[in-house]
Amino acid sequence: MLKVEHLTKVYGTGTVALQDVSFEVEDGEFLVIIGLSGSGKSTLLRSINRLIEPTEGRILWNDVDITALDEAGLRRIRREIGFVFQEFNLVERLPVLTNVLTGRLGYVPPWWSLFYYFPAQDRRRALDALEQVGLADRAHHRASELSGGQKQRVGIARALVQNPKMLLADEPVASLDPVLAHSIMGYLERLNQERGITILCSLHYLDLVQRYATRVIGLRNGRLVFEGTGDDIRHMTDEEFKQIYGEEAQRLGG
Amino acid sequence: MRIGKRLLAAVLSLLVPGLGHLLVGRVRRGLYIALGTGVLAGLTVFTAAQRARFPEEVYGLSAQVLLRLGLMAAFVWAALWLVYGALGRAVLRADAEAAELMAQLYTPGFVALGVLFFSLAGPRLLQTVLPADGERLLYGTILLIMGVLLALLWWWAARDAWQTAADAEPGWGGFIALVLVGTLVLGTRIVGIDLPKAIREYRETERILGDIFWPWRAAFDYEATELRATALVQAPCPPDATPPPVNQPQEGQPWVVVEPTCGDLSVRDSKGKLQYGTLLHIRGGGFVPGKIVKIKWENPIGNEFTPRGLGPTEIEVGPDGTFESELYIPDVVIPSFAQGPQIHKLHAVQPGALRFTGQLSREMKLALQAMLESIMIGLMATFTGMLWAVPLSFLAARNLTFTLRTSPQGLVGGVLGLVLGGAVGLQAAGRIADALGGLDAAPVSTAIVHFVLVTGAAVLGFRWLSRGLDALTQRMPPLVTDAVRYIGFALIGAALGWPLGLGYAHGILGIAWDPRDAAAIAPTLARVGAGLGALAWLGLARRWGQQGVVPIGQWIYTITRTILNVVRSIEPLIWGLVGVIWVGLGPFAGFIALTIHTVAALGKLYSEAIESIHPGPIEAVQSTGANRLQTIMFAVLPQVLPHFTAYSLYRWDINVRMSTVIGLVGGGGIGFLLIQWIRQVQYEHAGLAVWLIALTVSTLDFVSATIRKKIV
Repeated sequence: MLKVEHLTKVYGTGTVALQDVSFEVEDGEFLVIIGLSGSGKSTLLRSINRLIEPTEGRILWNDVDITALDEAGLRRIRREIGFVFQEFNLVERLPVLTNVLTGRLGYVPPWWSLFYYFPAQDRRRALDALEQVGLADRAHHRASELSGGQKQRVGIARALVQNPKMLLADEPVASLDPVLAHSIMGYLERLNQERGITILCSLHYLDLVQRYATRVIGLRNGRLVFEGTGDDIRHMTDEEFKQIYGEEAQRLGG
Repeated sequence: MRIGKRLLAAVLSLLVPGLGHLLVGRVRRGLYIALGTGVLAGLTVFTAAQRARFPEEVYGLSAQVLLRLGLMAAFVWAALWLVYGALGRAVLRADAEAAELMAQLYTPGFVALGVLFFSLAGPRLLQTVLPADGERLLYGTILLIMGVLLALLWWWAARDAWQTAADAEPGWGGFIALVLVGTLVLGTRIVGIDLPKAIREYRETERILGDIFWPWRAAFDYEATELRATALVQAPCPPDATPPPVNQPQEGQPWVVVEPTCGDLSVRDSKGKLQYGTLLHIRGGGFVPGKIVKIKWENPIGNEFTPRGLGPTEIEVGPDGTFESELYIPDVVIPSFAQGPQIHKLHAVQPGALRFTGQLSREMKLALQAMLESIMIGLMATFTGMLWAVPLSFLAARNLTFTLRTSPQGLVGGVLGLVLGGAVGLQAAGRIADALGGLDAAPVSTAIVHFVLVTGAAVLGFRWLSRGLDALTQRMPPLVTDAVRYIGFALIGAALGWPLGLGYAHGILGIAWDPRDAAAIAPTLARVGAGLGALAWLGLARRWGQQGVVPIGQWIYTITRTILNVVRSIEPLIWGLVGVIWVGLGPFAGFIALTIHTVAALGKLYSEAIESIHPGPIEAVQSTGANRLQTIMFAVLPQVLPHFTAYSLYRWDINVRMSTVIGLVGGGGIGFLLIQWIRQVQYEHAGLAVWLIALTVSTLDFVSATIRKKIV
């Protein structure tokens, strides 16, 4: 179970990205975070595994305070939390397989990396993960040779080999076309339902939110302004919509 | 009133440029004008003063000469214009169409006429008005021009003051133009630009330049094909001498017969006058008809020379291949202790064509060897430099280093660990080095053991105690944490301030003071420095105690960058001097020089490559739980490797170029040979070196550019 308590992030420039955000996520939930660009979604997700250091507040993951962890503790926690990025963030010059294998870095002794060595077991695991996302035949291609959708599947495979209990996904489909978006979201849904991996995912498209979310929170200017279920989104009033997206926002097709 | 103030400003600025501006409140403008005028006037005075230092270079151009030149030019111009104008008017009257053509051609025609006239009559005319050394009128002209320019500048300043006093904002154009022209004019004198000299003396250097530009004859060995015949002569001729036998003419080969074969040497008396010795009759044959035969003398110890003033030494061979001549035995000094008969040789030599052997000359072989040495210096320096530059570049990359931070307590623990670890490492290294046999027996092992153990123990000490103290104080009451921070910071400040105080005493005060006085006050100043340092760091402790974070990465970044920049800004040639002092003349010194510079240059280039990578992959790899080393190996290195390779190749290219000149200061390689040959006035051989350098550098330039293009 993930508990976020009074989380605040103020950047060095004085920008307040998050302000006193608190919420809880039960194990096995598919939580979607919605909000405008710049509303603090990325900062929130990155604060949970401390890619960004929160300024105030606590993040409790199974009663361990992530914000208070030292380096070794952070390493142990991070390897249990997968992260999928909007821009995929693959190392373009490395082979697909190696990109997936970086998911095992939290488990292997650090000095092995001097020789780019991974045990055979990890390599098998990485190939399995590629198999699951349908890219086994691309294992030895350079990551830069893949299309956008394929790259994101590699990103998911990389998170998979971490053997994660939770997956953070920062707008994983924003750079993809609608068909690919559903395919990627399908992978996430399967992980959520078949393996019981908790998923925190920020999304732009409300139809995707309705389709996949078990729970939804909305951010606006760094504050939590909405909490509900996927069904709530379907039946959201204009007022609630404007609360999240601002007075000038127009609902399309709703 | 208003006019009065403007007038006052103008007059003041006429006295001291810019002063009037100060009066009317245009301080900055006034300072600029004062500065510009002052600098130009100062440079003019400096140049004028230089004249006294080179009295032989006084070529005055008097105002009178200038006036004559001006009058002459005006007169000639007026005359040309009149003639040309009359011509034009005549054509105009005659034909309208021709007049149109004339109008178009008027100006170019006039210029052409002027050029024609001056090229024909100009030199003669100039001679009549110029003093004898007319071409070198530079000096006086320059001072005259400067006088005019400065006067204009003063006038400009006054006019500017007059205008600005009325709140106008005149442009800077005139001022800038005057200062620029003045500076350029003075520049010709300070640089010593002397066009007549350059043109006149070029002719004398043509042969030398030719040697350098096309030195390839010196690259090969030639065999002199000469005809040579030798006869023996004994001198002096003691009564009991058994003179060498008289040669007999031999068919089919060159021969020379000398009679008698025994005689007296010529002697130079105390006044230096030559008393002739025995006259030798020389006959020869078997030589090429119509060509010259040279007579050479070889003394008993084997020195060959041409005997001067004793008879003909260059004789033309007759149509049948024979010649005849006479020669007095030369004045060879035979030491009194010389033993046995003194046998001299007379050679009749007919130089033939030089035969190309196809063998490389000794100098060419040397140059090739040295060239290889240079390339290797460049290669080794590049590789060694890369090894050091890679780790340094990680410290000098903003995006990697700035994430390094620690708590104030962590810093205290870290510094403590650094000192303790360093001390322990030093002790351990000392023991191991002693066991290995000490510095003299095993210098390299000693150095490596020290480097590894001391840095390793210091880094580990920093890490462990930094984390340890941080973790420890987190479980303590705040009072203890504060105490640790304040005491620790005060100690760090004192430790930093102490040497600063000492350095100030010896290094700064010691310059002007008697060194003993400086040494006497040093301990006191060290204590003052320590106290001030402690105070300053107590302030820092307060500040960082509130923030809870010390930006230690920023310090590492700044320190590394500063060192790299300083080292890089010192030219490899100067590092070459350091290398030569350190390890003596030779390629090793050049290697050291280039390595030092390469580390700094590549360190900067690499770190900038690191700073320009995509941050995304770093984030991704970090989020899997990777530590710093793993992040660098998987997210940073793959991204920067192509850039690193390109920069390293580029640097190799530079290093080979530099290694060809590092020899000029004694750093080995082809530069060493080049400077030697230049000093020995062997310009042909120097030319070989220059050619080899040019060929190597341009080849490498091409190769490295091609590879770089392939990689990036």
